Amino acid sequence: MAQNYYVYVTAESEDEVAVVKFDGEQAKAVQTIPVGVWPTEIEGPHGITISPDGKYWYLTLAHGIPFGTLYKYSTETNEQLGKTTLGLFPASMQISKATGLLYCVNFNLHGDMVPSTVSVVDPETMTELKRITTGAMPHGSRISPDGTKHYSVAMMSGELFEIDALRLEVIRVLSLDDTADTEHMQHQNHAAYRSSAMDQAPGMKHSKVKPTWVIPHPQWNKVYVAGNGVDQVFEVDLSSWTVTNKFSTGKGPYNLEISPDGTKLVVTYKSEGATGVWDLKTGKELAKISNSRKVSHGIAIAPDNKFAFVSVEGIGGEPGAVDVIDLNELTLVATAEVGKQAGGIAFWKIEH
Amino acid sequence: MDKVKYFNISIFLLAFCPLWAQESATIKVEPANLKMEIDEEQTIRAIVVDGEGHLIEERTVLYYSGKGLSVDSLGNITAHEPGDHQVIIISPDSAGDILRNEYVVQVAFPPLAKIEIKEIPQKIYAGTSFPVVIEVYDEKNFKREDVKVILSSSDPDVISFDSFHNLTAQKPGSCQIRAAVKGIESTMEVAVIANPVVKLEIKSDKQEARTGDVVHIEANAFDDKGNSINDIPIHYSFEGRSYDISTNASGLIKQDGRFVADEAGLYNITVTSGSYVARLSINILPRKVDRKIELVGSGLVSDKHTSDLWIWEGVDGRDYAVTGTWGADGTAYFWDVTDPANIIRIDSIQVDARTVNDVKVSEDGRICVISREGASNRKNGILILDVTNPSEVEIISTFTENLTGGVHNVFIYANHVYALSDGQKYYIINIEDPRDPVAVGKFELETPGHAIHDVWVEDGIAYSSNWQDGIQMVDVGNGIAGGSPSNPVQFASYNYPSGAHHATFPFTSPSTGKFYVLLGDEIFPHGLNLNGPNIAGGFLHFVDFTILDHPEEIARFEVPGAGTHNFWIDGETLYLAYYNGGVRVVDISGELMGDLYKQGREIAFILPSDPHGFVPNSPFTWGAQLHKGHIFYSDFNSGLWAAKLTPETPEDIKVETD
Repeated sequence: MAQNYYVYVTAESEDEVAVVKFDGEQAKAVQTIPVGVWPTEIEGPHGITISPDGKYWYLTLAHGIPFGTLYKYSTETNEQLGKTTLGLFPASMQISKATGLLYCVNFNLHGDMVPSTVSVVDPETMTELKRITTGAMPHGSRISPDGTKHYSVAMMSGELFEIDALRLEVIRVLSLDDTADTEHMQHQNHAAYRSSAMDQAPGMKHSKVKPTWVIPHPQWNKVYVAGNGVDQVFEVDLSSWTVTNKFSTGKGPYNLEISPDGTKLVVTYKSEGATGVWDLKTGKELAKISNSRKVSHGIAIAPDNKFAFVSVEGIGGEPGAVDVIDLNELTLVATAEVGKQAGGIAFWKIEH
Repeated sequence: MDKVKYFNISIFLLAFCPLWAQESATIKVEPANLKMEIDEEQTIRAIVVDGEGHLIEERTVLYYSGKGLSVDSLGNITAHEPGDHQVIIISPDSAGDILRNEYVVQVAFPPLAKIEIKEIPQKIYAGTSFPVVIEVYDEKNFKREDVKVILSSSDPDVISFDSFHNLTAQKPGSCQIRAAVKGIESTMEVAVIANPVVKLEIKSDKQEARTGDVVHIEANAFDDKGNSINDIPIHYSFEGRSYDISTNASGLIKQDGRFVADEAGLYNITVTSGSYVARLSINILPRKVDRKIELVGSGLVSDKHTSDLWIWEGVDGRDYAVTGTWGADGTAYFWDVTDPANIIRIDSIQVDARTVNDVKVSEDGRICVISREGASNRKNGILILDVTNPSEVEIISTFTENLTGGVHNVFIYANHVYALSDGQKYYIINIEDPRDPVAVGKFELETPGHAIHDVWVEDGIAYSSNWQDGIQMVDVGNGIAGGSPSNPVQFASYNYPSGAHHATFPFTSPSTGKFYVLLGDEIFPHGLNLNGPNIAGGFLHFVDFTILDHPEEIARFEVPGAGTHNFWIDGETLYLAYYNGGVRVVDISGELMGDLYKQGREIAFILPSDPHGFVPNSPFTWGAQLHKGHIFYSDFNSGLWAAKLTPETPEDIKVETD
C-alpha cells in the first residue's frame, strides 16, 4: 500500500519552513510557511522539532535584536501559537517524553568564545524555565530514549555534555579532544572563527574535534558524536563515559541520525556534499551517496526505517533541497526543492 | 438483581477501579492558593493522587518556574517580582504519561514607601499656576506609575489643585499641601507671596514668517518700579485663523517662547502670568519651496531585489555607482552614471552570500567594501574590492574575523572600515593595506539585549543606530572624548520609546549653527510581501544635539502611509528614501521644530516604478544620494534611478514667450 511521508524543513536564508511530502516515488514541497518578524533581515530559521503527539512543531530563529526566538506552530493549520525569547542563535532542540519539556541549545555561532547554554522551555506555556551553562557553541540537542537525559556537544570547546533532564543540571562532561586521533585531524582554517583576545573567555580553547552533533542509540547505552574537525564519528559508552570506538568518515561529518531499529547510522558529510549510511553492528560504511547539493546538513529518518530525508543547503542563490535516500537500496530516490539554505529537518508523519 | 450477577459486577468494578483511579491521577498542591511578598520564601508540597484522592507514592514530582519566582527541587519558592507567576509541576513517566499542574503564585507589589513632591518653585506668586510633579516609590525603591495620588491644600483659598496636579496660587498666605495615596502621605509647607507684576510685555523676532519658520517670542513681566521679574511663571499659547477656509490653523508653541506654524494664516500669540495678559499677532505665509522633479534615467534590475547604493567620482573623473542585492545570489553591480540619462551596467561581482546589504566606496574612489549575509559557509564578513577601474572590479581581500554572523552595514572612514557584526556590535578594521586588513577596535553596548543596525562616521565621530538603545555617538578620532579607532569612546546618546531606531545622519545647520542628528525608524506594521507591493511605517526624528548633555527631540518628518529607510543630506536639503513613499526631498533650512511635513517643507517627491521590475510597479526605495546635482536612488523592486530637481524660479520673474 502506498504511503506518504511528511517532513518539515527550514530554509535558513529564505526565512521559510516547507512541508515536504514523499509519496514513495516523488518528493515535493506541498506547503511553504513564511516565518520571522523582521522582513528585511535574514532571521535564520535553524532548528525544528515536532511534539511527541505530532500536534505542534517548534522552530528556532537564530537571529534577533539580538536574541533568537523559539516559535510554536500547529501542524494542523501551520499557524503560529506562541513564542518565547531564548539566547544567542538558538539552534537544535528536542522534547523529552518524560518531562514534556523542550531542550534547546543556544549555539551562539557568531558570538564571543564563551560558554553558552541550553534553554529549557515549557512548551505548554512557552515559558523558558532555565538556562543550563555548557560549553562554547553548543549544538546537537538530543534526548535519551527514556527522556531522562539530554545530550549536546560544544563545537568550540570540544565537549560532550550530559544533562539530567529532570533536575536540569549537568551530570557529566567528556572532553573529546583528549581522545582525538591526531592522524585524522584536519588542518582547519580557523582564521574565520578567530576571535581577538577581547572576545574570548580566559582559558577557552579551539577544539580540534569540533563536535557538531550527538545522537543517542535507541536501544544501546551509547551515543554517537560527529567529529566535524577530524572526519570521525565517535561512539561513547554511557556506562563508562568513554569513547569506545571511532569511525573514519567522509569529509566534515555534521549531523547524525540512527534508524529507529538501531541498525543504521546516517551521517551527513557537510564538506563534500554526501551522506554516509553505516551498519552499526559491523561498524562499516555501507554506502556514501552524493547529495543533490554541495552542502549536506540535517537528517530525519522515517519511523518505518525505510527512508532518510536529508536537507541540503545549496550555495548562493541556489535553492535548498530535501534528498530522500532509500535505506534498503542505499540510493538517492527523490529530491524536493525548497528555499535557500535548507537546514533543520524533522519527521512529521506517515499517512496511508 | 440476581446475587451472582451483582457479585460479578462488583468484582468487575473493584478490579477496574484501581486502573480507572490511576488513569485519573492528578497533581494536588498544598496550599491550594499562595500569595507572597517579594523576597519572601514559602514551601509548597505537590503530591500525585488517584481519582479517589489517594496518594500514589511511586510518582516523582518536579518543580520548575519561569521569571518572577525561583523554586528548588523540594518546592521551596522565593518570590522576586510582583505579579502572577507560575510554578510548573510535572510528574514524569517514561511511558509518556506526564502529569502537570500550572500552579499560580500571586506576588504582591511591595507596599508604597514614600511620595516626593517636586517642581515647587522657591517663590510662589499669587495668581500663577504650574504643574506639580509627584513621584511615588515603594519599599523596594521601585518608582510606581500604577497609583493615583491625590493632592490637596489645607487652605484652598490660598492654594488649590485640579485633578491633573496643576497648582493655582489664589492669594498671598501660607498653607500646607498634602499628597496622599494608599495610606502614605507627604506634606510640604508653602507660602504664596503677593504678585508684584503690573505689566506684561511681549515681543517677537519676526512679524511675518513662513510655515516652518521658528519665531522667537519673548515675554517679560515688570513690577511697579519697572524692574523685570524673572522668576515668575509665564504661560505661552496661541490661536489662529487659516487663510484657507478648508484648513485649520495649527502649529506648536513651547513654553520658552518658540513658535512655529504649520498652516498659513494669522496667528495670535498670548502670554499670561496671573491676571496679566499680553498679545501679538504674526502673519504666516506659505513656505512655497516645492519644485518639480524629473526622472532622468534608470538602471533596471529585474531578476532580484536591490539593496543599497553608493555613488562616487572615479579616479578617471567619470561617475560610477555600486548597488547591492538582497535575498538572492550575492551579486553587487557596478554602473557608469556619468550621464545619468544613460546609466550603463559595466561590471558585477558575485560572492558567496544571499544578501549584499551594504556597499561603500572610499573617498579616493579606489576601494569598495561590500557586506555579506547568508553565506553558505556561514563565514560572511566583508569583501574589499579594487574599483580603480570599475569596469574591471577585482577582489583584493576577504575579511571574516569576528564577522561570521553576517555584516548588515559598513562604513569606510579614514582608512578604516566600520563593520557591524551579527547585529550586536561593530568592529573597526584598519585597511591601510587593503590586502591585509586588521581589526583594531570594537564598540559594543553592555545593556541587556543590545543590538545595532547601522553606523555612519563623520568628523571622527561614529553615529551608531542601536534599535531600542537609540543613537550612540562615539569618538573614533575626533578628540572630543579622547577616542580613536582602537579606543572608541562613547560620549552622547539619545533614545525614544518605539525601539525602532534604524539609521542616523548628523547635520550641522549652515544657517543656524545648530547641530541636529536625524534618527530614522524602520517599521513594517503589515509585514513584508517579497513578491508584491508593501506599506512601511516609521518616521524621521530630529534631535537637537547642540548641547550634547541635553538633547531635545524637536521635530519630525512623517509621510502618512509610508515608512523611512536611508537618507542623505547635502547643504540644507534632505534626500530621504521613504520605502513605498519613494524619494522625498525636504527643506531643512533654518531652525527646525514641529511637524516638518505639515509645514510644507517637502520640496518634491518621486516614486520609482517599473513594469519590468523584479516586482512590477511597486516603489520601495532603499537609499538616496545626491551626486553632482542629480539624485540617485536605489529601489528594492527595480534597481537604480536618477532624477533631478528643476531649477528654482523666483516668484517675481515672469517668463515671456512669443
